[in-house]
Amino acid sequence: MTLHHYLILAAVLFCVGLMGAFTRRNAIVVLFSVEIMLNAANLNFIAFWRYSDNPALLHGPMFTLFAIAVAAAEVAVGLALVIAVYRHFKTVDLESMDTLREE
Amino acid sequence: MSEQIAFWMLSAIAVLGALVAVRKRNLIHGVFALLVFFAGLSGLFLLLLAEFIAAVQILVYIGAVGVLLLFAIMLTERVAGDDGRRMTSRGSFWGLVVAVAVFAVLLLPAIQELPPPEAAQAIDPSVKELGHKLMNPYVVTLEVLALLLTAALIGAVTAAQGVRMPKEENSPE
Repeated sequence: MTLHHYLILAAVLFCVGLMGAFTRRNAIVVLFSVEIMLNAANLNFIAFWRYSDNPALLHGPMFTLFAIAVAAAEVAVGLALVIAVYRHFKTVDLESMDTLREE
Repeated sequence: MSEQIAFWMLSAIAVLGALVAVRKRNLIHGVFALLVFFAGLSGLFLLLLAEFIAAVQILVYIGAVGVLLLFAIMLTERVAGDDGRRMTSRGSFWGLVVAVAVFAVLLLPAIQELPPPEAAQAIDPSVKELGHKLMNPYVVTLEVLALLLTAALIGAVTAAQGVRMPKEENSPE
């Protein structure tokens, strides 16, 4: 296995996530898709670390660890926002959320 | 050889899981496909000798994020998902086009004839070493992250609670 295999796999996963974020209407599915993209980026970090000159420095795992923690915070806030918006609009359909005002 | 078999199987699991997760109409099924994707990615981390990250991936994503997503779905949509209605957004064709274009751009550097760097054969990313790194060079990052998680917790609770609008007749004017 070379670095290229992992990079191409991460590119495929990233684009699957991008496709989901661009084509679905459900806000929760868009959140999934963002998670898929973040995980593809993490795979890139780990692959580059494994194939780097000095893996003993552990830059890759540290960066990935922090990215996972930030992604966890992001998904918690994102879902809270989805629930808050659902309260107001009674839907999670992104195309019906078309105003920022109180009606 | 066995590494190659493991790589291809795990990548197939991850890609299929991701595809099913973004295309499935039933959201609960979608979340379970997403969990399969996270598990496949965790296996790939193991293959790349990042054992601790693989464990964290399972704990945080399959354990926490999956449950959070399931709860959010059960709190909002009907469990079976948006039946009968259009699943994709307006202009989703262009979204697909952009995704494919981004994929092509990402592939450009990958297909260049660069000499592939050698993989380190044995790395010892012990948890002890990671802990030392967290305490010595990365301690500020760790503290900022702790602050961020606290802020995210408070923010999530505040946002999910909803804004209570003061009643207009009770206002002092």
